[in-house]
Amino acid sequence: MNQKTIFKFCKDLGCCDRCCLRYLGVKIPNAYENSNEYVARFQDEPTSNIKSQEDIQSNENTTSGKDNVIVTDAVTKSDNTCSASVHTDNDSDKDIEGIQDNATGDVDSDNIHNDNMEYKNGILPPTKRRKLHHCVSCLGILQEDTWPDTNLMLKEMLHKKSYECPTFACALSAPIATLLRERAVTLLVREAYPEYDPNTLTPLKEAWKWSYGAQAAAHVGRSLHSGAVSPLLVTVNMEYPHEMQELEILKALSPSLFESRSQQRKRFAVEFTRRAAEQALAGAAAAALRAAGWPAPPEPAAHARCAAVHAAHAPLHLAGRYIKLSRELPQTPWILNGVRMMESSVQEIIFAPIAAAYGLTPEECEHRLKFMSAGREDVDVRCLGDGRPFAVEVTDPRRELTEAELKRVCEDISAGGKVVVREMMYVTREELAELKKGEETKCKTYEALCIKLSHSEHEHDKSPTEPVTVTEQDIANINSYSNTSEPGVRVQLVQRTPIRVLHRRPLLARTRHILQLSAAAVPGQPALLALRVRTSAGTYVKEWVHGELARTAPALQAALRARVDILALDVARVHLDWPRRAHPAPR
Amino acid sequence: MEFTILDSIPDLTNFKSFTDRYFSKRYILNVDRIKNNDIMLMFHSNRITLLSLAPSHFFFKKNDNYKINFVIGKIDRLSNSVKGKGKKGGQLLTAKSVICKIEYNDGESFDVPSCMKGTLIEVNEELVKHPKLLKEMPDSNGFIAIILSSIAISEATKSELLSHEDYLKIMTNESSNNEK
Ligand SMILES: [Zn+2]
Repeated sequence: MNQKTIFKFCKDLGCCDRCCLRYLGVKIPNAYENSNEYVARFQDEPTSNIKSQEDIQSNENTTSGKDNVIVTDAVTKSDNTCSASVHTDNDSDKDIEGIQDNATGDVDSDNIHNDNMEYKNGILPPTKRRKLHHCVSCLGILQEDTWPDTNLMLKEMLHKKSYECPTFACALSAPIATLLRERAVTLLVREAYPEYDPNTLTPLKEAWKWSYGAQAAAHVGRSLHSGAVSPLLVTVNMEYPHEMQELEILKALSPSLFESRSQQRKRFAVEFTRRAAEQALAGAAAAALRAAGWPAPPEPAAHARCAAVHAAHAPLHLAGRYIKLSRELPQTPWILNGVRMMESSVQEIIFAPIAAAYGLTPEECEHRLKFMSAGREDVDVRCLGDGRPFAVEVTDPRRELTEAELKRVCEDISAGGKVVVREMMYVTREELAELKKGEETKCKTYEALCIKLSHSEHEHDKSPTEPVTVTEQDIANINSYSNTSEPGVRVQLVQRTPIRVLHRRPLLARTRHILQLSAAAVPGQPALLALRVRTSAGTYVKEWVHGELARTAPALQAALRARVDILALDVARVHLDWPRRAHPAPR
Repeated sequence: MEFTILDSIPDLTNFKSFTDRYFSKRYILNVDRIKNNDIMLMFHSNRITLLSLAPSHFFFKKNDNYKINFVIGKIDRLSNSVKGKGKKGGQLLTAKSVICKIEYNDGESFDVPSCMKGTLIEVNEELVKHPKLLKEMPDSNGFIAIILSSIAISEATKSELLSHEDYLKIMTNESSNNEK
């Protein structure tokens, strides 16, 4: 078994040049991009100066046309003819494929779009009007005559969505019939050459990227990269008109598989999934295919056509820190039993100018923008200081907003007076992961306004009717209080899940820490005190202040030695340096 | 612009306690036709309910020492446990289910019924160590149990029962009648 033999064998079956290379297991992208040049080495004589006529002759005994539509020399016309003919109405292709044109540049271009059926059984004039040969394996997907249609749709899609991305990656959604045909060819090769390794086959989608993709790059004016590199992914969906009737053969190959399937699903259209086809083909033998009426894959009466092009840009992530100045503003829309409880939210205030900059409608907003943050504060809690880190994921963005646009977005957010965002920037996925991780590890500093509700334990002399006041002793008691020797920790406490979230969270008793604690009297307010508290992540400060029916213990009461409640709470600082600025912003 | 917590000093004349801020109180009088066997349910807006005794309960008139017993027949309410968001495994309650018994030193006792269908989330273990809480702070740290029911049951029960305002009216009438 040598490569030339296999090449010829596949060619005789009716494979296109590129498919022949695939069956040989060629994995060199350039071989597919410039297949005409590359295949010469597998042909008996160098083809560079050989007329296609000879090529045709060498293929006269093919099986491909036997019981199919055409048995003329035209059947085996090589790929180069097809591509050449395409060029007549698309000069921009000339440079790329010019190499291939030499031999067959004189072919009548009209043939490409003609329905082949009318040239049945030798009616076709042998030299002038040649019928296009569709590859029995890729159904024309690797053949250049199917490419202009695809190029057109691709260009249109990219134009419609107006991506600014200078690169792209492409993916192919191929008809399932190509799997069936690949299997049929592989089995025949294997039958003829038992030492042939069927696993060597280069996947159609790879060969397509290397050939079609490389060609499309010039068309769309973007450079082709792998999906791992380019954020812009274009998916080309090729459909084969005879897909369904052709796949009927799978039923013959694996009746039990499809019997059970058709019971599950009544609809014919969804019966043949890619997975089911792979399953049915996995165990199929050449004999079984032959018995099912497929001694060899028949020449397709029509090639696969581009049915749709889908384009999507990987999400972009805008990051910043928000300051929340309202005590009547939830972080995200607050909807209870389908009823909106508050008219706005931090999320909506931030989304509005971003949506405007990207030209998104309110409906699109819901699907295309996603809000993420390092934790959240309650509706009635302000978030001051540098604010809280947040990110907005933009799905399928057309472009990055400019510095000036981002500045405008910040100004628009802040104009309403409820939320302030000073700066926004784009961050990477890695940075985004830090935001999510930060949620579990970050500390926060709070300011709490508290009211003393009873006389302190040391105030025995005060009568119950006397007004409750915060004394210097009280402040000193709090400022010196600690219940643990753990380094860096002032107070260790155990909190049960607060009642206010108990309906949606599991009931647990968690150990939490207060790292720093200081109290001060409030001028002009004898019963009040102001606390500054630094806590570990996940500490519920309100519950620690009032004790929540002793469900948090010890509570502030243990330090003050009097009953106490909370009147107001602010987040003074979220201790997470994110997003990190390249240049520190002036403050 | 600098903001501090001192911006946010509220009007202290309207100060409400923790339970008054977040819960809405409802009452059932003379449960099981026992005079002044009055129960108070405090409903959170999230369908969690606290069970306690109403201030008019006969319990508050008697001064004997007492213990609170959470073992009801074979069921130990203290061993109640719930798992996950769905609170699986919590003891199921009907309105008649007894949550605890108040047992006096003189051998007398009375039952505290759930008064509501739902799942027992937790009982107030503090009451075992500090039974006084029930007498001193029945509408806060002296609560008896936390019950979770469906939104439908919670809403229905809430609307059926005596509201706090109506309860206060009845109480004022009764006390003025007693004075006569
Ligand atoms: Zn092919």
